[in-house]
Amino acid sequence: MKTKQYSVKIFEIELEDDDSFISFFDKNYLFFQNNLIVIKGQQRDSIKKYLDEKNLKYIFNLEIPVQKKQMKSLELEPKKEQEVVKKVEKPKTNLKVIDKLVRSGQEIKIDGDLLLLNRVNSGGSIIINGTLIVTQIVDGSIRCNGDFMMLQASSKANIVFHDVEVDNKFLQDKLNRVELIDDEIVITPALKEKNWV
Amino acid sequence: MGIVIAVISGKGGVGKTTTTANIGLGIAQNGKKCVVVDFDIGQRNLDMLLGLENRVVYDMVHVMDEGVSLKQALIKSKMDSNLSFLAASQTKDKSVLDSDKIYKLIEDLKAEFDFVILDAPAGIESGYEHTIEFADRALVVVNPEVSSIRDSDRAIGILDSKSKKVKDGQEVDKFLIINRIDPKMVQSGEMLNSEDILEILSIPLIGKIPEDKGIIDASNQGKPIILDANSKAGQAYKRVASRICGEKVDFVDVESESAGFMQKIKGMFL
Repeated sequence: MKTKQYSVKIFEIELEDDDSFISFFDKNYLFFQNNLIVIKGQQRDSIKKYLDEKNLKYIFNLEIPVQKKQMKSLELEPKKEQEVVKKVEKPKTNLKVIDKLVRSGQEIKIDGDLLLLNRVNSGGSIIINGTLIVTQIVDGSIRCNGDFMMLQASSKANIVFHDVEVDNKFLQDKLNRVELIDDEIVITPALKEKNWV
Repeated sequence: MGIVIAVISGKGGVGKTTTTANIGLGIAQNGKKCVVVDFDIGQRNLDMLLGLENRVVYDMVHVMDEGVSLKQALIKSKMDSNLSFLAASQTKDKSVLDSDKIYKLIEDLKAEFDFVILDAPAGIESGYEHTIEFADRALVVVNPEVSSIRDSDRAIGILDSKSKKVKDGQEVDKFLIINRIDPKMVQSGEMLNSEDILEILSIPLIGKIPEDKGIIDASNQGKPIILDANSKAGQAYKRVASRICGEKVDFVDVESESAGFMQKIKGMFL
């Protein structure tokens, strides 16, 4: 006899009406691709067809064998998932990728995150509220208020991170990661530069 | 239909007008019909560099506003019959420029010449914007120093956002001329080297012109340096003009070559 034991992630959802169910999954189905979806409620063909289309694994009205203590947290789970979904979605929709030289006098102003694959020339500037990664050298000015920024700057550059001017000396050699940890600016050189190139 | 080339730099005094005069003449010497137009309204200089100051009767503004025909205003150069010149107004200022009129003027010139070369004013104000508005290509003139490079970087940025070609979804081809290269200073590291400049501006190089004392005299005499076959700068301008006409000309290393044989020997003992 051959047996296998799995621990599976289960996502439980109560079915009320088709429209709200489908619109929820339209937004979030990517996150449930490895989950088993347990649907409570009336088994309907429209729902089955929709889930098959999205290639999701599902089962209707299954009594989930969980200990009572854990039941509570499980009841909360759908909410939690939604929170996670929101968090993951944020950088995804806000990330901008630009492969254009930022010339003198040009200003890039972005609320979200930015991946810049080109230089920032002297006189050019980037003002950004999110995370910033610049893969080529920065000669211009940077204002960044995000979680972290990653860049290499020349001595001409003017770098301000969370309203604090960063000394260029520390940014010159390699790609550096600049972040705010406990109100202190921490600069770590990215050693495995090859991974970025 | 001719090609419209704007000669731009952002900063003043880097050699835009000298470059325009020499390259215009160089193109004419290559057998192409060429007209150079001074767009520096209110401050014309190009007529002097071409030795035509005493022959200007009508200028660009007369053509655009006062119904003078293009034929009357165009001045043929004595140095090469393929080269013509259209003067800027000395009495008006740049506020007389108007997009529609410039468009018509440039279309008329394109119909008659193979190359229309526009000498842009220094700076990035309306006069500059009007110069680049209808350009097909741009020659960006820089000196190997940081302020010149930053200003031309800005000028390129404006070109890339305000020219008609860009607004139509196309791109204006830009080419770099590095002017006034002093080989000694490059070698000693005081001057930026060409690779650095190219990396910053990231546009293709079309020529390097060495510093040449003969240029001042050439300007005063109204005889562009390109006529002097012995001049290093003149030879360099000749190569650029041929490249613009579509010939393949190898790049000459003007950064190290300049020291003459005798100087090199002297250098060994000093």
